[in-house]
Parts: sequence; structure tokens; C-alpha cells
Amino acid sequence: MSKPKVIVIGAGFTGVATAHDLALRGFDVTVVERGDICNGTSGRTHGLLHSGGRYAVTDQESAIECVDENMILRKIVPQAIEPNGGLFVAIDESDLAYAEEFIEGCNACHIPIVELNSKQALAMEPNINPKVIMAFTVPDGTFDPIRLALAFAATAKKNGARFRTYTEMEQLVIDGQGNVKGIKIWDRARDTHAELDADLVVNATGAWVGEIAAHAGAHVPINPTPGVMVAYDQRLVQRPINRLNKPGDGDIVLPQRRMMVVGTTSYEVRNLDYVPVIDSQVKLMLERGEELVPGISKTKPRGVFTATRPLIGSGSSGRSIARTFKCFDHKETDGIGGLITITGGKATTLRAMAEKTADMVCAKLGIQAVCITKDTVLASYRDFYPNN
Amino acid sequence: MSAIRWTVTFQVFRKKGEQASHFDEFKLEVDPDEYVLDGVERIWAFHDHSLVYRHACHHSTCGACGMRVNGAEKLTCITPIRDVTQDGGVVRVEPLRNFTLVSDLAVDMGVMYKHMDLVGQHPVNLDTNEAIQPEARPAGPTVDRPDYLRLSDCIECGLCVSACPITASSPDYLGPAVLAGAQQGGILGDAQVFHLVDSEDGVWRCHSAFECTAVCPSFVDPGWRIMDLRRQVIAESFRQLFGGSNPKETGSKEASK
Amino acid sequence: MSDITREAPITRAAKWFDPRSRTINMVGFILNRITALGLTLYLCMHLIVLSQLAQGPGAFDTFLANIHNPIFTFLEVLVVTAGFYHGLNGIRIVLISFGVGVRYQQALLISVLVITVVVSAVFAVHMFSF
Repeated sequence: MSKPKVIVIGAGFTGVATAHDLALRGFDVTVVERGDICNGTSGRTHGLLHSGGRYAVTDQESAIECVDENMILRKIVPQAIEPNGGLFVAIDESDLAYAEEFIEGCNACHIPIVELNSKQALAMEPNINPKVIMAFTVPDGTFDPIRLALAFAATAKKNGARFRTYTEMEQLVIDGQGNVKGIKIWDRARDTHAELDADLVVNATGAWVGEIAAHAGAHVPINPTPGVMVAYDQRLVQRPINRLNKPGDGDIVLPQRRMMVVGTTSYEVRNLDYVPVIDSQVKLMLERGEELVPGISKTKPRGVFTATRPLIGSGSSGRSIARTFKCFDHKETDGIGGLITITGGKATTLRAMAEKTADMVCAKLGIQAVCITKDTVLASYRDFYPNN
Repeated sequence: MSAIRWTVTFQVFRKKGEQASHFDEFKLEVDPDEYVLDGVERIWAFHDHSLVYRHACHHSTCGACGMRVNGAEKLTCITPIRDVTQDGGVVRVEPLRNFTLVSDLAVDMGVMYKHMDLVGQHPVNLDTNEAIQPEARPAGPTVDRPDYLRLSDCIECGLCVSACPITASSPDYLGPAVLAGAQQGGILGDAQVFHLVDSEDGVWRCHSAFECTAVCPSFVDPGWRIMDLRRQVIAESFRQLFGGSNPKETGSKEASK
Repeated sequence: MSDITREAPITRAAKWFDPRSRTINMVGFILNRITALGLTLYLCMHLIVLSQLAQGPGAFDTFLANIHNPIFTFLEVLVVTAGFYHGLNGIRIVLISFGVGVRYQQALLISVLVITVVVSAVFAVHMFSF
């Protein structure tokens, strides 16, 4: 009996992790991506390996997902991670008032924290704001976006998955009963067209899931929410520095290689394919970043960029929507078989998103297969390219 | 980012499959502080969806967006337009040299990636500035803490490979990126790596053009590393000559750095 | 790296001489090769001329009479230029290969170029005033 065929549209974090899980479970997987790996939102993440501390008070479901997946990723893909922990720092009275809720929240979500006084915090990170009142250590980290994704993709490839990059999905192929049977593709590199058939199509296009699902007349309650980030040209801290307060704009400074990235904001956009940078937000990043690390004002911006988060829900404020992920079976939501959508979430939870997605794929195709991605150490990310 | 607007002409290299290559022109209104990559992205988003190019992080950590801009190798996500042209000027965008072309502006770096693994370059390294020569360390109070792990400087962008005149003429030359990677990973603990480096297509193929160091956007300084490798190789060979022990022959995987 | 194995060696070598938009390092690299070719050519010519001169004093006098023209003198200045550049740059490359002064390699290159120009000018003045 031949393996069931699954097409995954999108090779961002969700797509590559899903391909990896499905390949391990014995499926015949083809990933279709209109750019190269991590071409969309995933590539532009500032790279925070979440400890969950950020969501410990306002969104505990997300927080627990984060801390669990954080520990797993440190084990399976250390090749792409700076695992130096992180700090939540209190600079003013409002921050200090948040401390008690923070402690409660982290304990409820089993996030290990250690309280530091200002002297200890400054000894650990001499370049943070000298006005720091107190701080907490958390198991944050920084990861390299493309290498994290490539590691998953390389492992999936080793297990038989095929990756068709620079290949855009043009249309979903739908049969007489309104079920998705495959996709029509445009190989942009060679400028040729073809059709691929599948037993199931997984829409893993992140912020674009709404546009893709619309091809089948399906609907996904996705709220693409871009944010601005600025990378500065010196590394003044060794670990992510978070503001001890409710999630807000510019409340994190992340080191990465010899840079620091400050993020982020939330605003609306019409055209997902190109999101312009908003100058006022860049200024805001500098101001808020300086509150955490005053030395930023002596550095120069090395790169200014945007990334569009796939937020689920139809709330009004970009920040109040839950940061969790969701799998949509379009047979149930729209009466369209052969198509499921996975979106939402954040980079740190990519493996868990893939697990839920692969579980749904198994259920829909009547396959019994256990997920083993928790303990599978990934292949070298470099193995993705050689025989492409 | 400002309110100034320039009109520049992007000349973009195009080639699909076996067709002959040509340049397409696009007149764009740009903010001169925007990056060359932003122009390329707008061309794809609003003018020509068939344009193929590589990019991911947009902040010089992934190494995907290297291209030649007006003939010179650049990491386009951190290259402001004002650095390469003026109002009314031309921005000529071409793929990197010395790699197989995939399409338009995207190249295949598979061989370089494979060799990086072969020489054991560490993608994550101890955060110490000893890995680069003292005078070449970036300015500013970077924190130097040898007990922390950091993503290493080399982002495998291939700019050095593209700029190297020897790679242009010698297909088997390991190239500056890989040799720099070998220096970072250490050559004295692994016989295979040592012989790869101490070969005619290893450090001895370099002709000291130093274009690699000039174009590297990431403080790797491959030129210096290749010279350092030569010194290591010669020192080791002398040691062999005078009957020293043979660490490179034991084949242990312990890297020296 | 790339599919250049299908190209003829002469085409590949020609890529060495492409200075478009590269840095001054590339200029130094190319000059090293041009001066090498130039000096080799000069050496061959020199040996050929010497072997002819060995045929006696008559040949020698005729030869000296012929070379007292500006074109020849200019070419001789070029030989000085090539010799100085190639020699000094050669020393620079040897030093760098031993790890000495790698950080200053570009400054050293510029010094080599400047010295070559100055020395050539001095020689030119002397040689043209005979």
C-alpha cells in the first residue's frame, strides 16, 4: 500500500515542522513554497526562544506551550540556539507592581524563575538600565530563524519529504463534491506550470492562510498583524532583556550574533506581500529600547524591518488576541474536504503545532501513527541544500 | 527613515531555465534610507511576481539575500539605497558570482554548505573575541564573556566566495568561507579536515587578494583566517618533521577552538 | 562551486582580470599578474638580445644606437615599475602569509603602490635626461 500523499503549502516554521512530523510518521510529503525556506513571517522573527514569561499573566495557555517547547527545542536543535537565558527587568513603579502577578503566573505555568536584586542584575548584565529595581531570570534564548527552519527541513528531507521552493500555489484543484484533490503550481524558477495531486492539503501559510483558504471558498479567522523591529549594530547584552510588565510595544531587547534587536509594535496592513516600515514606530523602538539598555543610543541601526504575525481571532486590538495556535478542519468549518489549515502560534511552539496538525492529518486519513518529534534530534541544517 | 523621496532605476538580472539572460528595468520611488532588498521586494510584490530572489531575516543574520549591487557584493537587507546610488541613479542588481544560478537573483549554495559541515564550522560558538584578531574586532563596548554561547559570526552568505578571484577560475577551491570555517572549527584535531585544508585546493590556492575580507558583512575576516591556517599547517608540518607526536593522525574529533 | 568546469581554462583565467567594482585589493591582485607577465616577457627578450650581443662589439654598438629613443626608454621605465611593484608586493605577500601585518594589508598595498610610483618617477627623470 503506498503512503498517503500530503501537500504542505508554506515552508515557514509551521510548514517545515509539519513536514518533519509527517515524514517521520510515514507520509509522502511535498512542501510547496513560493520563495525559499522562511520567506515570509518566519524569517523575520526577532528570534526569541520564549520561556513563556511574557504570557505567564495574560495568556497562560500560550505560556505553558512555550516553556515546554523551549525545553524540547534546546534538546533537538541546539545548532541554532544561543541558550543563555533571559531577564525580565523592572525599571519603574508600574513594573514593580507587576512582579507579584508575574511570580504567580510563572509558578502556575512551571516556568523556572530566580529573583535578582538590582546589584545582581547589573552584575549579570552591566549594560542594562542602571535604574533597574529588580529582575527575574527566565530560560529565554535567541535562535537563528533560517537555521532553525532548515534543521527541520533537512531532517524531513532525509526522511523522504520533497521540497519545491520557488513554487507558488496558483489554484486548489477541487472535485465535483467540493473537496480539495490537489494543487496547481507555478514553478517560478523555471517558469513552468504543473499539477500535483494529494490525499490532503495542509495550508501552513501563516499570515496568508486566509488568502489561500479563500481559493476553496473556505474561511479562516486570521488577523495578520505586522510589527516593526530594529537591529542595532552592537551586542551590549548577552541575553534577551524583557520589560517586566504586560506585553507592550518595544518591550524586548534581544542579542543575536553581534547585534541587538528591539521589538515590536502592532498595526494593520492591507497588502501582506509588502508591509512598509512606519517611521514613528522606529523612533518608538529606540525610545523603548533605551529604557532597557541605555547604550542603544550610541549604536547605529543595522536593519529596520517588519514581520506580520498570524493572529487568530477577530478582536480589535492586536495585542489582546491569544497567541496560541489552531488547526482548522475545513470539512467541519466549511464543508470542504481534503484541506486543513494550521496557523497562529509563535516560532517557539513550531513542533507542537506540527504535532497537532499531523494528528489531525492522521485522523482524517485514518492512519495510526505516533508522534516522535519530541525526542528526535534534528539533522544538521546544512544538509538541506546539497542535493536540492 | 525620512520623508525624502528619490527616483531610482532598478536594473534587475533575469534568467529562467535555459533562456538567455537579460536585465529588466523598474523605476521606483524610494526613501534613500530604505534598503536595496526593499526595492527588490516591492518589484516582486507590485510589478513582477515572477521575480525569484532569496531572503529571510532582513537583518543580516540568515545570509540569504546576498547579491551584487552595481557590481559589488552586498548583503542587500542592510545596504541602504543611499550607499549605492543617488537621486535619479541606477541600482543594478545581479546574483552572486561563482555559484550555480537557480533563477534570476537566487543561487545554489549547496556545495558551500556541504563543505562547511565537512570542515566542522560551529554554528554556535563560545562568545569570545579571541576568535578574531585583536585589531579587527568591531568597535564599541561589546561584551566579551567566554562562558556564553553565541551564534557564530559567519552567516554563510557567500559574498566572500563571490568576490574571490580564485574561486572564479578554480572550481575545486574550497573558498574563503569554508577555509574561515575550518579555522574557526579547528584543524588540528581531525586528520581529514587537516588534509582538506593543507591541499592544493585548500589554503595554498589563495593568492592573497583579500577581496573576501573587504566584502564580508559579518566580521569574519576570512583573509586573516586563511593566513592563520597557513601558519598552523606549517607549524604542524615542522613538528612532524622533527618527530613530534602525531595528533592529527589520531583522528579525534576534539576541535582546538 | 559553480558550473565553470565547462569553461575553457583561458576563459576562467581571464576572470582574474575583472576589476569591476571590486576594491583596491583587486587592483593589487591584477597588477601582480600583469607585472609577472611583463617581467617574464622582459626576461625572455633580455636573454635573446644578450645572445645576439655576444656576437661581437659591432652588434653591441648598433644595439646601443637603436635604444636611444623615447619609446625604448619609456619601456625601460615600465620594467623598473614592474620590477619594483612585483618585488615589493611579493615581500608584502610573504609577510602576510606568515601572519605579519595581516591587519594592515591594505595599507601595505597602498604603500607599495605609492613607493612604486615615486621610484618610477625618479628613474624616469634620470633616464630621460641622458
